[in-house]
Amino acid sequence: MSSVRNDSATIPVRAGRRRAPRGDLWLFVAKRLGIGLILILGATLVSFVLTQLVPGDPAAANLGQQAVEDPEAVAAFRHKYGLDRSLPVQFFTYIGNVLHGDLGLSQQSHRPVGTDLAEYVPATFELAIFAIALSLLVGVSFGVLAAVTRDRWPDQVLRVVSLAGVSMPTFWIALMAFYLFFFKWGLLPGGGRLEPTETPPAHITGLYTVDAALHGQWSLCFSAAKHVVLPGLVLATYTIGLLLRFTRASVLEILGNDYVRSARAKGLPERTVVIRHVLRPALVSIITVAGVAFGSLLSGAVLVENIYSWPGLGQYAYLSAVNLDLPAIMGVSLVVAVVYIAMNLLVDVLYGVIDPRIRLS
Amino acid sequence: MSIPEIPVEVADPAGSTLSSGLPADPVADRRRSSSPRKQPLAVIGVVVVAGWVMIAIFAGVIAPSGPLDQKFVQLKAPSAQHLLGTDELGRDVLSRILFGARVSLPQAVLLVFGAMLFGSAVGALAGFFGGWVDALGMRLADVVFAFPGIILAMAVAAALGPQLRNAVLAVIVVSWPAYARLMRGLVLSARGSQYVTASRLLGASSLRAMWVDIRPNVLGPIAVMAALDVGNAVLLLSGLSFLGLGAQPPTAEWGAMVAAGAQNFDRWWIGLFPGLAILTVVLAFNFIGDSLRDALDPRTARAVRS
Amino acid sequence: MGSGSGGASSGAASSGGAGSGGGPAPAGTVVVDTAFQLKTADPGRMFEPTGLLIDRALYATLLTFTGDDVTKPVPDLAESYTASADGKVFTFKLRKDAIFSDGTPVTPADVMFSLNRVKNVKGNPSFLMDGITVTSPDPGTVVLTSATPNPAIPFIVPNSALGILNSKAVKAAGGSDAVGADKSDTAEAALNGKSEGAGPYVLDSYSTTTQVVMTANPKYWGTPGKYQKIIVRNVQANVQKLNVLKGQSQIAVDLSPAQAEGLSSSVQTINGASPNVFFLFTNNSSAVSKVTSNKDFQEAVRFGVDYDGLVQLAGTGAVQASGIIPTMFLGALPTGTGVKRDVEKAKAALARSGLGSPTVTLAYPSDIQVNGLNFGDLAARVQANLKDVGITVNLAPASVQTALETYRGGKEEMGLWEWGPDYPDPSDYLNFLPGQVVGKRANWLAGQAPELEALGKKAAATIDNDTRKTQYTEIQKMMNTAGPIIPLIQPAQILVASTSVKNVKANALWLVALSELG
Repeated sequence: MSSVRNDSATIPVRAGRRRAPRGDLWLFVAKRLGIGLILILGATLVSFVLTQLVPGDPAAANLGQQAVEDPEAVAAFRHKYGLDRSLPVQFFTYIGNVLHGDLGLSQQSHRPVGTDLAEYVPATFELAIFAIALSLLVGVSFGVLAAVTRDRWPDQVLRVVSLAGVSMPTFWIALMAFYLFFFKWGLLPGGGRLEPTETPPAHITGLYTVDAALHGQWSLCFSAAKHVVLPGLVLATYTIGLLLRFTRASVLEILGNDYVRSARAKGLPERTVVIRHVLRPALVSIITVAGVAFGSLLSGAVLVENIYSWPGLGQYAYLSAVNLDLPAIMGVSLVVAVVYIAMNLLVDVLYGVIDPRIRLS
Repeated sequence: MSIPEIPVEVADPAGSTLSSGLPADPVADRRRSSSPRKQPLAVIGVVVVAGWVMIAIFAGVIAPSGPLDQKFVQLKAPSAQHLLGTDELGRDVLSRILFGARVSLPQAVLLVFGAMLFGSAVGALAGFFGGWVDALGMRLADVVFAFPGIILAMAVAAALGPQLRNAVLAVIVVSWPAYARLMRGLVLSARGSQYVTASRLLGASSLRAMWVDIRPNVLGPIAVMAALDVGNAVLLLSGLSFLGLGAQPPTAEWGAMVAAGAQNFDRWWIGLFPGLAILTVVLAFNFIGDSLRDALDPRTARAVRS
Repeated sequence: MGSGSGGASSGAASSGGAGSGGGPAPAGTVVVDTAFQLKTADPGRMFEPTGLLIDRALYATLLTFTGDDVTKPVPDLAESYTASADGKVFTFKLRKDAIFSDGTPVTPADVMFSLNRVKNVKGNPSFLMDGITVTSPDPGTVVLTSATPNPAIPFIVPNSALGILNSKAVKAAGGSDAVGADKSDTAEAALNGKSEGAGPYVLDSYSTTTQVVMTANPKYWGTPGKYQKIIVRNVQANVQKLNVLKGQSQIAVDLSPAQAEGLSSSVQTINGASPNVFFLFTNNSSAVSKVTSNKDFQEAVRFGVDYDGLVQLAGTGAVQASGIIPTMFLGALPTGTGVKRDVEKAKAALARSGLGSPTVTLAYPSDIQVNGLNFGDLAARVQANLKDVGITVNLAPASVQTALETYRGGKEEMGLWEWGPDYPDPSDYLNFLPGQVVGKRANWLAGQAPELEALGKKAAATIDNDTRKTQYTEIQKMMNTAGPIIPLIQPAQILVASTSVKNVKANALWLVALSELG
């Protein structure tokens, strides 16, 4: 086993799970940050190479059918987006610009990619935070239930339910939920972050619910929350299933441990045993999975945002991919890589905080 | 071990890796037997998968019409004549779903096979040679892992051009690292074992050692992982097709059919049934996978998950 | 032409305040749903459908069109115009009372700046100004001079891309109309935040992915729009339908015929043909294909296609493209005069060709839809049609990016494509003649149809509309008897609107004139 795990330092999920002798937390964080930066650079290089493999010409994709016939317009386009320079120059210019906070100009929105991302990333975060909170709540509580009722009917039912959750095509469940809750029953709004007639709250965090609440605009906050519910639920179906199964497994494993048996032998009530002696240690691994699941929600967001007209990162990624908007594709890759890596770093640190027995290396 | 292994594969719903990676019941590893009576879900899974395979083979015989025949009244709700209704071009939805099995299943198998081949090769080389080969291969895998699967797959598919073949390639690009990791781990542990060391002492070349001595020990877990991945490959491919980056109209592909349903979703039957087809296939594979993880011997179970 | 004052009431200029004389003061909100094709609100760089829709409300142009009639340019900023006999010089008389949203008057300098900027920024719409120079002999007159006869100019200037900008304000924001503006002009970001036009609305907020909000221009010099606020939202076609049914929006512009079928009576459906033309071409170069360059083969295809079947497939509102010029433009062939399917004739032509049972490859872009129609569905139908004749068609779908390259390079054996009008004038369709833009893509080169080409040259230089009509009719009839280009259909263009909104008319250029909604 150990040999399998040795390479895990840079692997998101598994990082930090090594129990090494005493180590300095800060040194560890710094080391992980360094590795994270290298990974981000690698991700940028990969997406850059990818964008160069594109057989289609961005000029053809973004210019009109008449303009593309005009060599001058094409030359102007290529010059504007730096496509007339050599590849290494393009790459290093890009990296240099990124270090100055400049992600280039989007070819589809004609705006700086940074401005676009600042607008779309919070929208996706709002969805993802809701989804992950819901998943933790539902997944963990039902996971514990499944564990304590192991092999009896609640466990069996939950097993099928959680497997169904991870087997559901996200785009399909999004569509069905849309049809039922919005069209058929009219219980929830269909799409967008607010009603069209409502003005978004002044920007603080970019999360409409939070911003509206901070400004004391309660009806706006309520409306924003109502809009989050349906896409958030859909997004959570997968993570609920995942966390449920996972919680069950962790709890079962710990229930089998000696100290749990001795706690029971001492005559402590079952509730105390489960909450104090089982759930707390289990939380460590649950948080790890939740961290990863959060990153994974970005994937689901591509499909869900498409259906719910949610102006988030997923929509932006999709539109940049189909329009061959290279600077935007690069920007999205960068954000996503940063989120993934930051998430894993966070998980590692949390991991050490929650369970001090585990030493970080 | 107080902390259960966390499978890398959980990383992604639509998936940088395919395996849903649900953890096994660690206690059940020791208790459950693999007898069918105790694994009803596995039986259901196998029956459903077998059913779909039969449908794929005999679609031409059992389907009421061809998948592309636009010869019926458009947008008819399910009735005795068209059990699952007709779509916006007057095609029989049931026939398209049945023929759709011929698209989704083989493509998913092809995809998994490709990812397995490439991933295992990288993993085997990395595990066997170590050093810079190992570092290069594994860092490359890390970089791929740093992307949410569908975003990378989307970029690749868009770059190569929206076609089913390219979508398959794109998913291979994002899903090989799981196999590389597993293979590398297996090779490392096999290499450490005594009989490999012995055969090398006896003068066998490294490649020969890898082929003769290590192969038998790693093929099993890899094959299991691949077999269980098919369901998730169906999920991922249909997702790309739904976005318009996979199978193109008029191909009868389930994800593309759900997309057509999305265009006309007050006609619920156009999108509902192809989605159910995807769900049953994926769920069946997950039923099998989940039961298999329970039943397999611990060594393999853990290897699959690492 | 250019007599009446196309709906624009006079006498409002003096007030200069909110809600000028004409109609009642604007009130209420109208929500329009469309799947955005929007890159910018800057007229000088804009040439996408949603941009045209929005900029039509923000910017006044020299001439414009009202309602769904794009055959007759009517006054906007110019109260009248005259054309020289050779079709090269067009003189526009500007009205005196027009003002920008900041209250400053519209001057010839603004017109010159705006049009030259379009030309020199070298963006998507710059081709509209190709060969045209703008001058102003006196304060009140603008002259557009074309290097070659260009009778289409009155049909070109209504384009929202040629909207007139407040030159002072735009220059202050970094705008430039000089040669080299493609590098020096930096006004786009400012124009995406604040409109600088003389149109009935002003920009309130702008996003290329969520929504664009416009409010009534309080200083508008003409008849104000009925609504105080117009919200244009980015919504997928399927959701548009639900929104309009549920009253969450008032107008949906992208519904396909299937989606629009069986709508309740709570909404009105404006059902007409789109100006987009789907067409088929067979490559005329024997180097590319011995088969498709064969004249008899081309005839076999022409008579082998089931046009009525394609129209039926495209749904209610679609029509056969009788000629390459869409029905709503000057010179279009009357409905019902297009080519009719005749399988026997097609078989006979194929037999004459001596090709036996040929196999050809049909390329098309598979990842885009036009008016809700997939190219793939049409291609599959064409494939089935030609099979009846004895021609085997292999379908070659590709992404639009890839397919465009082979199409533009003239390398496709057979292609299924679409042409959307650049401006609503038949001269845009001269692009389909031998040696022209589309002709070359089919390797239909200059000199291969001398009679047709001569007629095209003549039509390009004719001013009189009646004469033009005859010439274009003749051109299309010739194209319908021989040649590699086969017009198929115009899909349906469907507007679904709440019954509370009146005067909803589909416009070939900007979908619907938002300021005219009643």
